[in-house]
Amino acid sequence: MTWAGPHRWLQAGLNIAIVAALLFAVSYLPPDTSLQDRRRDGILKVCVPPSYPPLITGDPSRPGFDAELADAIAKNLGLRLALNVLPSIGKDFNPRNWSLTRAQCDIIAGGVADTVQTRSFLQTLPTPAETGWVGISATGAMPPSGSTVAILPGTAGLDRLALSTWLRKQGLRAQLMRSPAELEQALNAGTVAAGITERFVAASLRLDTNALTMFWLDESISPRFRMALGLWKGDQTLKRAVADALELFEKSGVMLRLSARYGLDKDIVEPVSDPRK
Amino acid sequence: MKVCLADRSGMGQPSRVQGLKPKVTIMTVAAISVEQVSAAYGGKLALDNVSLTVPRGTSIALLGPNGAGKTTLINILCTLRRPDGGKASVAGVDVVAQPTRARQSIGVVFQDSSLDDRLSAWENLDFHGLVYGMAPKDRRARSAAVLELVELEDWRDQIVRSFSGGMRRRLEIARALLHEPDILFLDEPTVGLDAQTRQRIWQYLDQLRRERELTVLTTTHYIEEVEGADMVCIIDHGKIIVQGSPDELKDQYGMRWLHVLPKDPEAGKAILARYPEAKPLGSHALALPANDDAVADAFLVEFRDSLAEIRFQPPTLESVFLSLTGRQLRDQADGQRDAERAAGKRGGRR
Amino acid sequence: MTSPIVLLRGVYGVWLREIMRATRDRGQMIGGVSRPLIWLLILGVGLNPYFRGEVFGEVRYVIPYTYLQFLFPAVIVLNIMYTSIQFAVSVIWDREFGFLREVLVSPMPRSLILLGKVLGGSTVAMLHGALVLILARFADVTLSIEQMAMALGLMFVLAFGLTSFGVILAGRVRSFEGFGVFSNTIILPLYFTSSSVFPLDPALTRTQTATAYPEWLVFMVQVNPITYAVDALRGILIGFNQFPPLYGPAVIFGMAVVFFALALIDFSRS
Repeated sequence: MTWAGPHRWLQAGLNIAIVAALLFAVSYLPPDTSLQDRRRDGILKVCVPPSYPPLITGDPSRPGFDAELADAIAKNLGLRLALNVLPSIGKDFNPRNWSLTRAQCDIIAGGVADTVQTRSFLQTLPTPAETGWVGISATGAMPPSGSTVAILPGTAGLDRLALSTWLRKQGLRAQLMRSPAELEQALNAGTVAAGITERFVAASLRLDTNALTMFWLDESISPRFRMALGLWKGDQTLKRAVADALELFEKSGVMLRLSARYGLDKDIVEPVSDPRK
Repeated sequence: MKVCLADRSGMGQPSRVQGLKPKVTIMTVAAISVEQVSAAYGGKLALDNVSLTVPRGTSIALLGPNGAGKTTLINILCTLRRPDGGKASVAGVDVVAQPTRARQSIGVVFQDSSLDDRLSAWENLDFHGLVYGMAPKDRRARSAAVLELVELEDWRDQIVRSFSGGMRRRLEIARALLHEPDILFLDEPTVGLDAQTRQRIWQYLDQLRRERELTVLTTTHYIEEVEGADMVCIIDHGKIIVQGSPDELKDQYGMRWLHVLPKDPEAGKAILARYPEAKPLGSHALALPANDDAVADAFLVEFRDSLAEIRFQPPTLESVFLSLTGRQLRDQADGQRDAERAAGKRGGRR
Repeated sequence: MTSPIVLLRGVYGVWLREIMRATRDRGQMIGGVSRPLIWLLILGVGLNPYFRGEVFGEVRYVIPYTYLQFLFPAVIVLNIMYTSIQFAVSVIWDREFGFLREVLVSPMPRSLILLGKVLGGSTVAMLHGALVLILARFADVTLSIEQMAMALGLMFVLAFGLTSFGVILAGRVRSFEGFGVFSNTIILPLYFTSSSVFPLDPALTRTQTATAYPEWLVFMVQVNPITYAVDALRGILIGFNQFPPLYGPAVIFGMAVVFFALALIDFSRS
């Protein structure tokens, strides 16, 4: 080939195109066998805590957002779902203390927060679920200092210390609630000016929605966490398949239906002081 | 020190005098002016106090053996090398003080190919045009014109790597003419060119000299190249030995020589003893100055029986060189090297 | 005296020639692809299992990214390094085969000849770096248009500096064979000590870093300018910086300026 052709860029462009096409083709090679192995076994092992409502409830008729999501993913991949209930999960936000092994779980769900700490050990696929401190009041904002605020900390590991420090600074009086029902009642009856609880608990409350508004507390008190599915690093093919499935659910409305079923679609107002706005 | 000065009126170029082209340069400025230039490579003198003035429109040939300093002089004139002493200017511009301006008015064909052999002929020309800042339209028109001149139109999109040595040379000459220089330097330009192409190129160069007052400086160790030049400078060991038109030089210094090949070394020694002015050529052959028939006759009478071969050599520039330096212009080794180089260049496709 | 457009034409001519020579040469293009394939496919995939850990929290490789993601920006830098420094071969070639004289007798100022040449070389090097970006999918790196543009910009400046470095090398090396050996003894050590294949753990403080790796190695990584180039690209492509984010661009721009100035001094002298 010594003929340069009528146009000087032809040969150059052709060479670049060939090389680029080759690389593009290569980028579709599977980098590992994780998906292939699951397919061979026919089982998708998902590790969950015994209870982490509303992601995991333990109630067979209403198993929870993550449980139903995992089931949908397994079906999408053509695998049988094996829910592996491990009491250690979700005890705190540091998954290092959960003592999980690759042999037990392919996916970890029900309380995996999408944080840098988690991502050091797992790769994460965020779900629509998000948690953090949520305020509930008639005005959609925290009441003036001197008011009484009902607090229900919930089970998730949000920073209670930071919350109480903040309340003291604001001059608000905290009244500890013992159950969601008690908080529900206090709010609906208007015996407290506002309530503060964890987002998932707030979603499960049956409130008079005409009178009360939910809003996120400022992230300076305690950061919000996006919940996620955790997969082992290096299981790229499985991760891609799961990510594809999630994207499909997003498009087909499955995700929306599940969110609605577990109250994850409820509008929560961003804090007024949020600098991101 | 000798000054080489070509007299225009003696050059036999009536057409140039009539058909003056209004080229914007001061007519009185010499195209090339070299004043007492010296150059040394690591203590070894390559040019020794050389002076030379070339009027516009002249074709001048630097004749000399390999290593005589021709290429060094060219390198100085095209600003690739600074002289170690003296002054040099082209088209009235000092090559040391204003190299960029000097380069604008010169075109150079180097001894060894300086084409990019991964580009096509057209791209080589286009590159040259770009580097000389020519506008796109100019580039296209000029490239087509010079390609036609060297008869390479059919090869314009061919990659240079596949060119034969002769084609490369032609392309290089075309390229050197692309930006319409005032002065063209040709360093051993026609090595590996066939007679026909050589003739065509010289024809064209002569035309340019007449029309545009193009000055052509050629270095060569080929006698045939020199015969057509207006002016010849014989250069050896870094010095200009003599200058003049080929005819003048032949008249003045040319001698008829008798080339003889003695039968055996003893005979050779005997001849040398009898004629001390005889010059050895190669290992056995001898050359005797024989301008006079009587001398030749006397020699033949005396050594008739000890000769293997005998031949008269009429005055040529080669014999001029021989009588001035006592050496042949091209020794055996040179000839061999040229042959090898030509063979190497022919290696490509034709 | 000379109008800018005339000078620009010259720079464009020199630049264009470099692009043409490099992109027409299949061998060079294949070299540009084989390196990322070896590093990402073979090394990245081969070592992947060793970096994933079997028990939660037991991995020693504590970076919030997979190994392939971590390696990906470094492979881009490696590809740019190879192409840029190999550019010296083109400079030696021009010198040895006479083409340089054709340019030197032209009215172009030497500085612009060098600029055109270095721009050409760095464009080719950036192209080779950009080829690696095609493998982003493979390495699970998702890129936005802005990320790509920023990365390409930094890659170009990096290539510019390294190409100038190649020109400086070319002035000091006489033969092609010598250069082959020479370039490998420069590129690979620079690559390996640039924190390209192992992280200097960001979670650890400076003193702890020194205990995790022997001090001499940490020192070598820290004085290696390529470290900061890799870090800058990691910052853009996967959002991970081991050093203050401004270090990388600063070092990359610094290299470009310093090496080009040195190359210019060298080139004007020759």
